[in-house]
Amino acid sequence: MAGINPKAIYTIAKKEFMDNIRNKWIIVMTIIFIILAIASSYLAGRQAGGGEIFGGMEDTVVALMSIYTLLIPLIAILLGFSTIAGEAETGALYVVLSYPVKRVEVLLGKFLGLGSALAVTPLIGFGLSGVVIAATVGAEEGVAFLAFIALAIILGLMYLSLIICISALCKTRVRAIAGGIILFFWAMIYGMIVMAIYYATGGDFMKLMTGEGTYPDWLWSSVVFSPGDLNQMAVMQAFGLKQAMGISIEAPDWMSMNLLLVVQLVWIIVPLILAYFFFKRRDI
Amino acid sequence: MITKTIMCPHCKNKVTIQGNPGEKTYIICPKCNTKGVFTFPEEKSELKTTTTSFTIEVDGLTKIYKDVTAVNDLSFNIRTGEIFGLLGPNGAGKTTAIKAILSLIHVNSGKIKINGFDIKKDGIEARKSVGYLPERVAFYDNLTPLQTLNFFCELRGDDKSVAKPLISEVGLEEAIDRKVGTFSKGMVQLLGVAQVMIGNPPVYILDEPMAGLDARWVKTIREKIKMLNEQGATVLFSSHILTEVENLCDRVAIIDKGKLIAEDTVANLNKYLKIKPRLEISIPGLNGKIPEEIKGLKGVEAVDAKDDTLFVTCESSVRSRVIATLEEAGLKIDNIKTIEPSLEEAFVKLISQDKGGA
Repeated sequence: MAGINPKAIYTIAKKEFMDNIRNKWIIVMTIIFIILAIASSYLAGRQAGGGEIFGGMEDTVVALMSIYTLLIPLIAILLGFSTIAGEAETGALYVVLSYPVKRVEVLLGKFLGLGSALAVTPLIGFGLSGVVIAATVGAEEGVAFLAFIALAIILGLMYLSLIICISALCKTRVRAIAGGIILFFWAMIYGMIVMAIYYATGGDFMKLMTGEGTYPDWLWSSVVFSPGDLNQMAVMQAFGLKQAMGISIEAPDWMSMNLLLVVQLVWIIVPLILAYFFFKRRDI
Repeated sequence: MITKTIMCPHCKNKVTIQGNPGEKTYIICPKCNTKGVFTFPEEKSELKTTTTSFTIEVDGLTKIYKDVTAVNDLSFNIRTGEIFGLLGPNGAGKTTAIKAILSLIHVNSGKIKINGFDIKKDGIEARKSVGYLPERVAFYDNLTPLQTLNFFCELRGDDKSVAKPLISEVGLEEAIDRKVGTFSKGMVQLLGVAQVMIGNPPVYILDEPMAGLDARWVKTIREKIKMLNEQGATVLFSSHILTEVENLCDRVAIIDKGKLIAEDTVANLNKYLKIKPRLEISIPGLNGKIPEEIKGLKGVEAVDAKDDTLFVTCESSVRSRVIATLEEAGLKIDNIKTIEPSLEEAFVKLISQDKGGA
């Protein structure tokens, strides 16, 4: 976009990072991630038998699969819900916007700064456990594990973009957190809706579990409306997994990693554009 | 209001008197009873009124929130180098007007310029010259005051080396390593004052800067505002503390229900509102009794007495007749003070007139 000052974006991003990296939620979640990842690896190692204390990287990721898609969105929502609605309420945003900065610069700075603070949790939490696993078990799936960390960050950025959009739309912090709660539960509600439609249209879940049946194409396509499912699909592709929790989930050829990444990028960009639209028109 | 100490030409006794520039006052030396008239000199206000350039221009500003008109066709101009007070009861539209000047809200109609830059078309250029302290100032809980000011220095494109001296200037040096989240309201407000001074902007917009602060902080902020103005800055100052506005501001605009109802100097407001000055006459032995001779005197609006002081509200032209009448009645006058009508009186009269007219 013409006329955007990158220095202003950087300044705001740096401030957001410094302010939020000391946020107690970030610190608590990073510790939880370290414990969870190491515990998951340990449990995976016990389950696999053999002489190793920890399981391999793939086993660890499979064990973490359902938990990280809950915790990462939670961090993003906690970090971002008050960034516009809350700061407009307290008055912090008045001062910033009285300076020679554009609203688009403030918004991008906030996204990048909060995104960087958010990235710290999976980077340290999963990264540290990855180092432990690599040192004890081996780093055969090191690249895939790095991809997992990157995808965890992407998941966070999708939710961050969505919650910033909600924060820009809502007049008060209370409304923004209510929006955040709806967003958080969306993945679960959406999954139930999709499965209900699947049953209603004659789908047989038991056949899917045993590998006798395959998902219809529309069911695969429905994944694009759920950032969490989308992200899980990408992680499974990174590790070449064809099963999750005993359910066969071999994706069709058209659902490539590139497509999954592009759709996730759309989930980041579109809510940010909408956030700008709401923020620009907002009376502070 | 000017305070002067003058010497009695007869007995060399020193007498302290108060009055407005250009005003004539009747003096009686308390020591030797010598009578005289003193004219207060035309002061720096003369210089200021000759300045015709405007730093902030507001023309036909209207802001409607759903079905509430917060500001209705508001126009005023703020001269370069003056302290301009924005006054009004709660909900009058002061903060809305300030937010519109800074382009924090979208207005329904009207034109606003800061230093000649249209706030809509050249918002960035316009805001480069403004330091703003909002009514509800807040910063970032996890940052220290130094980190906070460094951030705003960077945002203005200013040298970060000014942050530390500014923190010392507002008296927060002892809290320099503490998180802002642990600050009291007064400390946050002082940090706001330091923030406003970053880059030494030529224009300051201060929305209720003293609200909710104790006397110590109020004094500090008042002194800062005076200092900034003495350095040549233009100040838009919104407050509900009328005495502060009266003491600080060169001119005031009074708004009510989003409309401008008056804009002038305090003295001129009183003049055209016909609010008369009050004489405080010390008469030993008065004992709270109002002399009969003064009651029916033409031009005297009100008379009151308390202990040995007689309070007479009258037109300036009647003052000498009041003194003469009291002396003819055999009363010994010790001292005379002229109390000019306060902004509060003008404000109350204007608001009640506006309500009556509405």
